[in-house]
Amino acid sequence: MASNILRKLSCSLKNVGLSGPRVCQTLSVAPSALSRCLSSEAAAGAETRPTVRPHDAVAREHLVDFGRYVAECLPKFVQKVQVTGTDELEVLVAPEGIVPVLTFLKDHHNAQFASLADIAGVDVPSRLYRFEIVYNLLSLRFNSRIRVKTYTDELTPIDSVNDVYKAANWYEREIWDMFGVFFADHPDLRRILTDYGFEGHPFRKDFPLSGYVEVRYDDARKRVVVEPLELAQEFRRFELNSPWEQFPNFRDTSVIEDATPTTEKK
Amino acid sequence: MSSGKAASVVTRQVRPILSLSHDDSRRRVLALYKAWYRQIPHIVTEFDIPKNTKQCQQKLREEFLKHKDVKDIRVIDMLVIKGQMELKETVTKWKQVGHVMAYWKDSVNKKPDDFLGKFLDGKD
Amino acid sequence: MLRAPLQKALSLPNLRQLSPALRGISSTPVQLEKIEVFVDDKPVLVEPGTTVLQAAAMVGVEIPRFCYHERLAVAGNCRMCLVEVEKSPKPVAACAMPVMKGWRIKTNSDMTKKAREGVMEFLLVNHPLDCPICDQGGECDLQDQSMAFGSDRSRFTDIQFDGKRAVEDKDVGPLIKTVMTRCIHCTRCIRFASEVAGVDDLGTTGRGSDMQIGTYVEKFFLSELSGNVIDLCPVGALTSKPYAFTARPWETRKTESVDVMDALGSNIVVSTRTGEVLRILPRLNEDVNEEWISDKSRFSCDGLKRQRLVAPMLKNENGELVTVEWEDALVGVGRALLRAGEKSAAVAGGLADAEALVALKDLLNRLGSEALCTEHTFPQDGSGTDLRSSYLLNNKIAGIEDADLILLIGTNPRYEAPLLNARIRKTWIHKECDVALLGPKVDLSYDYEHLGDDTTTLKKLASGQHPFNKKLSAAKKPMIILGGQQFGRQDAAAILAAVQQLSQSLSSSINDKEWKILNVLQQVASQVAALDIGYKAGVSAIREDPPQVLVLLGADEGTITRADLPKDCFVVYIGKLSVTLNLLPGHHGDQGASMADAILPGATYTEKQGTYVNTEGRTQQTLAAVTPPGMARVDWKIIRALSEVLGESLPYDNLNGIRQRLTEIAPHLTRYGSAEDANYFVQAVELSKTVKAQLASTPLDVKLKELQDFFMTDAISRASPTMAKCVQAVLKQKTSKY
Repeated sequence: MASNILRKLSCSLKNVGLSGPRVCQTLSVAPSALSRCLSSEAAAGAETRPTVRPHDAVAREHLVDFGRYVAECLPKFVQKVQVTGTDELEVLVAPEGIVPVLTFLKDHHNAQFASLADIAGVDVPSRLYRFEIVYNLLSLRFNSRIRVKTYTDELTPIDSVNDVYKAANWYEREIWDMFGVFFADHPDLRRILTDYGFEGHPFRKDFPLSGYVEVRYDDARKRVVVEPLELAQEFRRFELNSPWEQFPNFRDTSVIEDATPTTEKK
Repeated sequence: MSSGKAASVVTRQVRPILSLSHDDSRRRVLALYKAWYRQIPHIVTEFDIPKNTKQCQQKLREEFLKHKDVKDIRVIDMLVIKGQMELKETVTKWKQVGHVMAYWKDSVNKKPDDFLGKFLDGKD
Repeated sequence: MLRAPLQKALSLPNLRQLSPALRGISSTPVQLEKIEVFVDDKPVLVEPGTTVLQAAAMVGVEIPRFCYHERLAVAGNCRMCLVEVEKSPKPVAACAMPVMKGWRIKTNSDMTKKAREGVMEFLLVNHPLDCPICDQGGECDLQDQSMAFGSDRSRFTDIQFDGKRAVEDKDVGPLIKTVMTRCIHCTRCIRFASEVAGVDDLGTTGRGSDMQIGTYVEKFFLSELSGNVIDLCPVGALTSKPYAFTARPWETRKTESVDVMDALGSNIVVSTRTGEVLRILPRLNEDVNEEWISDKSRFSCDGLKRQRLVAPMLKNENGELVTVEWEDALVGVGRALLRAGEKSAAVAGGLADAEALVALKDLLNRLGSEALCTEHTFPQDGSGTDLRSSYLLNNKIAGIEDADLILLIGTNPRYEAPLLNARIRKTWIHKECDVALLGPKVDLSYDYEHLGDDTTTLKKLASGQHPFNKKLSAAKKPMIILGGQQFGRQDAAAILAAVQQLSQSLSSSINDKEWKILNVLQQVASQVAALDIGYKAGVSAIREDPPQVLVLLGADEGTITRADLPKDCFVVYIGKLSVTLNLLPGHHGDQGASMADAILPGATYTEKQGTYVNTEGRTQQTLAAVTPPGMARVDWKIIRALSEVLGESLPYDNLNGIRQRLTEIAPHLTRYGSAEDANYFVQAVELSKTVKAQLASTPLDVKLKELQDFFMTDAISRASPTMAKCVQAVLKQKTSKY
């Protein structure tokens, strides 16, 4: 079933109206990627261990193909396409392209990712653009999932995809509340999880685990009061490091495979 | 030297949040201030708080002056957005008395800031 | 006996290597060509003789091991470090096998994994599954490595069969708890005891599954370094008795600090939980303590909790000390200080940090007094304390490893500074180094030439007439270590002058100009900092000119008693411990507090960020692991608060401020981690010639002669029940027939 669909996808690759040379280029890329994929599979041998997730080489190849197809179609916005170790397709896009990319993925005949499963945020303070915004999409039509990632910082607004997916409304409010990322053109951007008057964005890495304030009911004032945090008990923090290397197999292997079309890298 | 540093910051192309110029952001700040100011009498009557209009106006001024040195347009915009959010929470009465009174922090005792006070308090 | 097999351990890259410049020309070894080997296909160039394990470590591959330890001889009996080498039919033991040219070592191949899983399986067959009640849980090598390298399937289905090996537990003393069933026979403890500690008490008996680690006969394993076997033990066979069932390692908070029990300043880690010091572990510092600490440093931390002053106290009209608030205490003390003015004085104890010393000096100087003394004396004749070279261990602790002749004068380093002694022993074992001792005959854990304890010998040595002088002048790198305790003698100046002259006469024949011969081993942690700051050594100044107010900064040794002071003298005690206020007559300790009119509770070294300078002049700092108990405050803050009450506010009110003041006085006091070299040896000798004092005829003596003297030497260790148990154990051992 799935292979059927993806064959369709790769067929459509030729039909989307790419000019001759482009097609040739694309085709010239494909065998190398395929052989790389196959060779890594052959080196590892067929996975027989019951506790290790086996790779489906065919499904993975289809994901790579589709990712490349998306990159070919939206060269202006897609910066990188990658496949994770657990066979999930990720498309990394520029922030200004999030609406076109999601529109494409939702409405394109060969994609039909009509369901927005989730929007998540990742904070990596060391980066220039510290926040990563992750859109998880589901195509019911093709029983397939895709992940779209973009990035921003504390002050750069990201376009709201509320017009594309109605589901984005609350998800974006959540990201705004937890990370402080502003979504432009959102119809009702306000807090969704924190208390009224709460200051700060709790999912930011520089927000302390214990918070800044504590809240209690004051008997004398007959209302809830907010006070600076004072921990009566020591804050418990467990150190679970071992001097021994726990996963020598994964010492310097990245499980993420880069599937960006080579023509796009130029 | 500082001007050179500022110039390098300015030259980075950034996407505006709301305002395109300082005048623009100033207008927004003033609009927010006025909106709050006009709501204060209603807030005082709607909420059962031990503060009068005068005290609320003073607090409003204080809260705005807290950020008087902010110059970055985008930071100002972000503050304005959050201010509007708070205003909406207040006038729609999503907030309760405790939330409104949290602006005054009247249950927080001031910590000593001189050496002897801190010494006797046993806290640094 | 041990010299030969340990050559291997010495070739370790992380052991301190002598730079070619420091070596004598004749001893420069032939530079051997490096050979290339491949670890997991990564090429690495190593020196010949490097073991497989070290070669792998160079490319960042840590091979699992149990018996191998960097600082001990290679045993090669646990087999955990087996790795595959290409073209070798069997896996090789990485810890013992030197690499050959072109070897391809596979640390993660199927053969290696199978070998490790097999070894793990055999080890676990006879290892009890008692991790939940084992104190090693969470920091257990066996636990960690069985998770990382063991098989994920068990073949041990025979749980009904009672065939697991069980071994009787041994009673080896009050510090080490043994559960010998857990032992995997790595023999690290045995090797540590015989190589580092120099006590050949531990060994194995029996063979095969009857093999046991023990003391052969019923005997305690008593050594000043015995606690280190707890860290060395890769499983839970040897654990800490005082710490038993106290905490898990992942729930404790670790603070890096410095030990103050002796003048060495060993680096330690303080483990705390919920504001309580649970245990103290060593921290690696190649220049000071390597990775060992003495038992006093490790186990006396329970003395930090007992007999603490937790509230300020003042004497009322009836002459009774009563608890008061800080305000009252400060006002009471301040009033007395104001009245006394320049007739005030201070004595600093052995555990005071540099911050408190500076604050106290600044305060008293502002009142017009210069009478600030340390409890431990130093001769004022000659150069006195003006030249640092005469009170430092100038050649540094690590410098001992380069020496070829060490002369100890009037000291017993084994108990005054156990890790210094461990260094001497290490040098004695691994290098061609001879040791001689002038002083009472004691057991130093290695052989030495005893020159007697007579002062005439010292005189002869100084004038070059002693037979030993020949040896001294033949030595390329001689070191003379003078015990700080001798400065308490009447003829201290003459002793120091004699030693200085001897050192100077030797230095002319030494090629290496950086080599320092004269070394002084101080007794207490605070002494060097106090002398650097400008305290007078010894309390004679106070005896001669009795003050009206005497401030005791943790001075518990009883060098000044009530009898030395005028009746109306007001005594202020600022300190940490010692609260047996109605001391029995003749009780040895903590007399500072008992004679005080006012008591201001201070902080111990685990409760403050304090600067200490060790005997080699190395500045190090302790960090605050817990908050001071009750109303106790950090020492220098008490003095700072007092100054404010007096209206003479000292110009610093935070740590940075006072550190800046320290830098002003002596910049090296804030250069943490580095040891500032002293200089002006020649000038010191010139000045020492002006010393008029003559050597007395009383023989040189040391206070700490035997192990029982070692455990309780200061306010903290005296309050420690564990240390008391140790003394009892040593005395009991004495009565044993073994």
